[in-house]
Amino acid sequence: MKGFLLTLVAFAAIFIVLNAGYYGDWFQSKPAQYWTDFLKEKDDTLDQVGIMKQRYGVIYTICLKVKDIAAKKKVAHPVILFEPNSYYRDSLHIYATFHAPEPAVFYYYTGLEGVWTNSPNVNKANFLLRISKKGVSLDEIKNPQQLQQILNTYKKYPPTL
Amino acid sequence: MFVLAFFLLLLLFLLSGYGILHLFRLRLKTAYTITLSLLLGVALASFLPFLLQLLYIQLTAFTIFGSLVLAAVLLNIPVWLSVRKEGFAAFRRSLFPRRFQILSYEIPFLMILGFMVFVSIWRCYYLPPTSRDALSGPEAIAEIAVREHTLINSFFNVDLWSTNNQFKSPFLISLQLIFKLAGFPFGQIWLSIVFVSFTVFLYNALREKCHPLIAGVLMLIFFMTPEMYAYTFMILYDYSNMVYMFLGLYFLFRYFSAGGRTAEGQSSEMGARGLHLAEARVGPSAGDSPGDNRTANFYFAGLLIGIATYIRSETLALALLFLPPILLAQRREKLSLKKAALANILFFLPSLAGYYLTTQLYLKHYLPVHYDVGGLVNDHLTNLSPLFQRYSDIFTRLLTGEFAIHLWGYIFYLTAALFVAEALFVRRFNRDARNWLYALAALYLGLGALGWLLPMMNLNETTKRAMFKMLPVAILYLANNELLLRLSRAITRWENTPWSLGSGGGSPGKPVLAARTVLTKSGKTVAVGGTQANTRKVVPAAGRGKRKK
Repeated sequence: MKGFLLTLVAFAAIFIVLNAGYYGDWFQSKPAQYWTDFLKEKDDTLDQVGIMKQRYGVIYTICLKVKDIAAKKKVAHPVILFEPNSYYRDSLHIYATFHAPEPAVFYYYTGLEGVWTNSPNVNKANFLLRISKKGVSLDEIKNPQQLQQILNTYKKYPPTL
Repeated sequence: MFVLAFFLLLLLFLLSGYGILHLFRLRLKTAYTITLSLLLGVALASFLPFLLQLLYIQLTAFTIFGSLVLAAVLLNIPVWLSVRKEGFAAFRRSLFPRRFQILSYEIPFLMILGFMVFVSIWRCYYLPPTSRDALSGPEAIAEIAVREHTLINSFFNVDLWSTNNQFKSPFLISLQLIFKLAGFPFGQIWLSIVFVSFTVFLYNALREKCHPLIAGVLMLIFFMTPEMYAYTFMILYDYSNMVYMFLGLYFLFRYFSAGGRTAEGQSSEMGARGLHLAEARVGPSAGDSPGDNRTANFYFAGLLIGIATYIRSETLALALLFLPPILLAQRREKLSLKKAALANILFFLPSLAGYYLTTQLYLKHYLPVHYDVGGLVNDHLTNLSPLFQRYSDIFTRLLTGEFAIHLWGYIFYLTAALFVAEALFVRRFNRDARNWLYALAALYLGLGALGWLLPMMNLNETTKRAMFKMLPVAILYLANNELLLRLSRAITRWENTPWSLGSGGGSPGKPVLAARTVLTKSGKTVAVGGTQANTRKVVPAAGRGKRKK
């Protein structure tokens, strides 16, 4: 009987903790939501790339697209130049949705080399990834003059995470 | 297939970890033996690929799994010799000294904790690593190492201007590599092993101190720390660092407790019916050799803190903050200067090795890109105002206020409230509570000082995550808070008192024959009244002679 009463106390204690102030909000938005996600995910037929696309979002999908295009163009060593994130934030105001990946993360996603405008290897860049509200494009950089022109365009936007 | 691979890895971790644990001759109860073995096995596994790399051996499935098997076999030679000497029955008894028991009122807590553990494990398994610190360093290196068979791979040819995560400990890289080679595309599931093992250990540690009902509530509060819970399925260094650092402190404080109140908890199932709380806490366990265990606790603590340092090198500085209480304990023990010095060198040796191997040898002599740790140190050390500013920021932004609640829930508020209540109403702190309070203060002061010494250690990211270490420490303080201990005793007393008409319960038709167990002022439990048939006999564990005051 006492064990039963203590069991009731245990349930009451759990109920109180789970609903106390911020705990209630957090529990609903995190562990309980994760459970709902689990119920969907357990029946998913997504492969590894599909799961990564879902998890990493649009940037990952863009990176994979870049990889495909670079492969189709059959460039021996494609090096992708990214626009600075401060440009997306201060000029295009799309940073909340889009941002350029770090070269390290881009390499993890695609196995391709990426550079930022301040990278020591920036002169090796032979493609420019442009992201705007209209869409995404991968433009070829044909010569060092064109590269320099591009770099000048972004001069006032320092690369940031 | 991957389920088989997982269980084989689990078995390897268990065996190799048990081999290490056996070297310390600690007599632990089963829950501790299994969880510590797994945690030691994970730590060893995180070191082996790194060691192979240091020896310039290719990191293939054969070399990595071969080294894991070899380590498990070699480390278990002493176990095998001991089984041969003492017999298998004795060995089995040492592994399972007492029957496993769950009380009905623990089940609700186990259900809710189990739910949160399950959700965490699923996310670990199903989702890829997401934290930027992992993707721009260890995770990427591990992924490429699967193809290139070396930790020093083409990742280092990429522009790494925006990150320093490639310079962090190989702990994460090695474990990711092992699990990716075992067929888990996202690795990560090792973190669930650490999480579950630590959860079981901590619950048992709490249950040893207070009533299972209180232990359950404390455990739930510990789980309900939003920031830390997220890191049970997001691979990074801080959760694992917290686990090993806490375990180190746990065994260090066992050492301070001078042979009493052992983790070798044959004695101390707090929830076991008929076993009185106060009694269960006191005295060495049956069959223990307190002196031997005490020293073993000390060196085992040194090893665990060493592992924590291997995971995050700045832990070395935090470990040094525990030198004063160690010296004090050695002074109380009247240890000669030479012996104390030798003991302390051995204690800090794993930490020094963990620090040297990762930040000196590997960074300076192996990686193609060098990282000058010395250059990161604050060069205005005479200006102390940033130090006090950092302490102030930790207090106002990370420990109190809305942001702090979003990070940690109410755990620090509860700790502070019960600390003040204990100071006001009890006016003294027991030794264990003092130890954990010292640890809390040392961590707060140490993390503030580190943030001042290393400006790269920013407040909202690095210091915040380093504060994970304070969470289990706070919980253990709460488990030793005198008010909660009194509440625990009151519940246990009530629970052990049979229903009677006088106390408002019991079957009206039956006379009250049962004995009552009563806590005397001297801390002993005596059976009062009742008949032989209904008396619950309370037998103190052998060797529990004295109660510490």
